[in-house]
Amino acid sequence: MTLVIPVGPQHPALKEPGFFKFEAKGEEITKVDFYLGYAHRGIEETFARRNYKHNIYLSERVCGICNICHSSCYTQAVEKLAGIDPPERAKYIRALIAEFERIHNHFLWLGVAAHQIGFDTLFMLAMRDREIVMDMREMISGNRVHSATNTIGGVRRDVTPEQVPKLLKGLDKLEKAMDYYLNLFQSDRTIIARCSNVGVLKKEDAIKYCAVGPVARASGVETDLRKEDPAGIYSKLSFDVITEKDGDVLARGMVRLREVMESIKMSRQILREIPGGPLRVPVELKIPPNEAIQRVEAPRGELLYYVRSNGTENPERVRIRTPSYATWSSFSTMMVGGTVAEIPIVIWSIDPCFSCTDRVTLVDAKTGKAKVYTLEELGRRHK
Amino acid sequence: MNSQEIANLIKADVEDVKIISERCLFASSDKKRFMKIIQSLKSSGVSHISTITAVDNGKSIELIYHFDCKPAMLNLKIFLPLEDISIPTIIELFPGAVLYERDVAEMMGVKIEGRPSMDRLFLPEDWPQGNYPLRKKKEEKPT
Repeated sequence: MTLVIPVGPQHPALKEPGFFKFEAKGEEITKVDFYLGYAHRGIEETFARRNYKHNIYLSERVCGICNICHSSCYTQAVEKLAGIDPPERAKYIRALIAEFERIHNHFLWLGVAAHQIGFDTLFMLAMRDREIVMDMREMISGNRVHSATNTIGGVRRDVTPEQVPKLLKGLDKLEKAMDYYLNLFQSDRTIIARCSNVGVLKKEDAIKYCAVGPVARASGVETDLRKEDPAGIYSKLSFDVITEKDGDVLARGMVRLREVMESIKMSRQILREIPGGPLRVPVELKIPPNEAIQRVEAPRGELLYYVRSNGTENPERVRIRTPSYATWSSFSTMMVGGTVAEIPIVIWSIDPCFSCTDRVTLVDAKTGKAKVYTLEELGRRHK
Repeated sequence: MNSQEIANLIKADVEDVKIISERCLFASSDKKRFMKIIQSLKSSGVSHISTITAVDNGKSIELIYHFDCKPAMLNLKIFLPLEDISIPTIIELFPGAVLYERDVAEMMGVKIEGRPSMDRLFLPEDWPQGNYPLRKKKEEKPT
């Protein structure tokens, strides 16, 4: 008997709901379909109706978690359009806050992943330690989440010499915490039982379906735009591209946790080597007709902005391709063959910009009877 | 491949190639030669399509295929006249484009040849047929 299991679409607390239709034979998932767009706000069209400065604010609202990546990608694209080169110090500050964003994103991922597999102690510990980096972000930018650091031609806030020792101390704490989680992730029975060999994406499928970021790297694809197409000062920073071989949920977790260690290393290098000088250069908002493309490695992978100017203060067209969107193509491959109980952790393992598994209705395809399950019920292993 | 290598590979089938940097180039072509370019990219080992951008410039619809040729980014522009906004599907060669084709179809009204059924991806189910949100709106006459 095949069951049709609709998952989603709404979760009142999260930004981007989505809808999945799983078909299951017994416990095994046989087919997946999804429908996006419940949070489609027409941002690309809105970009064309506002001027370049207003659009920085808008780009940060595409995604709350990775707002810096969006504004940094957008501002760098506009700088290319206008032929501006921001000062070196600004590039360093951009990279620093972007790496802080990666750290807090991956800590958040760890926490929610732990929650999805019923390991709530780890959830609380990860969220506690995430506060260290949130405080560091607040120290630099004045805000925990939306830091509004980037502007066209540079950055808006400086890192003062008094802040540097505090930031270094924070990085030490984060390194110690992540070292503990790395050991835990490799040795804890619960984590291995729930994550190992689950939601596997093979290397050839990752390449075929153009997966990006940690999802691709966990399948053994060595891709990282900070190395391949470095923007700003990334070509000057020394770090390793983290890859894993297995392509399962555990590998995707390991990639993210090990990346945090690399980000800590890079942040230290930035704080050590940051040059003096101005923070931004003046910008003329009327940009002659031109087009530019910019990519950055967001915490979830390749983020792309295409911007076209038309001689006015407003862009003609802005196209945004977020990393979560790129990952959906490979999603079916991960799910088919898995079990219903794996749905929450596999969805979360790709770190989507939304989680919508809190309201699940299991419908018996023959009788049409429906029962609503909560996320917790679904997350439990069926006996 | 870097920009120059890609330019050499596709130069017979494109009208103009603008090399921005070692890792970025723009090229434009038309629907007739489109599949040939796609095939030569695929056979040269390009496997990653980043996205497809659709732009309504008032006179035609431009489709910009962004290929990551590791490390260079090829931005391939195809101009489609307003009378015939259609393009063959590339998902046989680049399965990663499966959602991007649905995206440009519903947002810009591009007909993807070879993909008969394309469900809605972003727009609501009751969105009116034939209304494409990213098309340029005709300017309303002042009353």
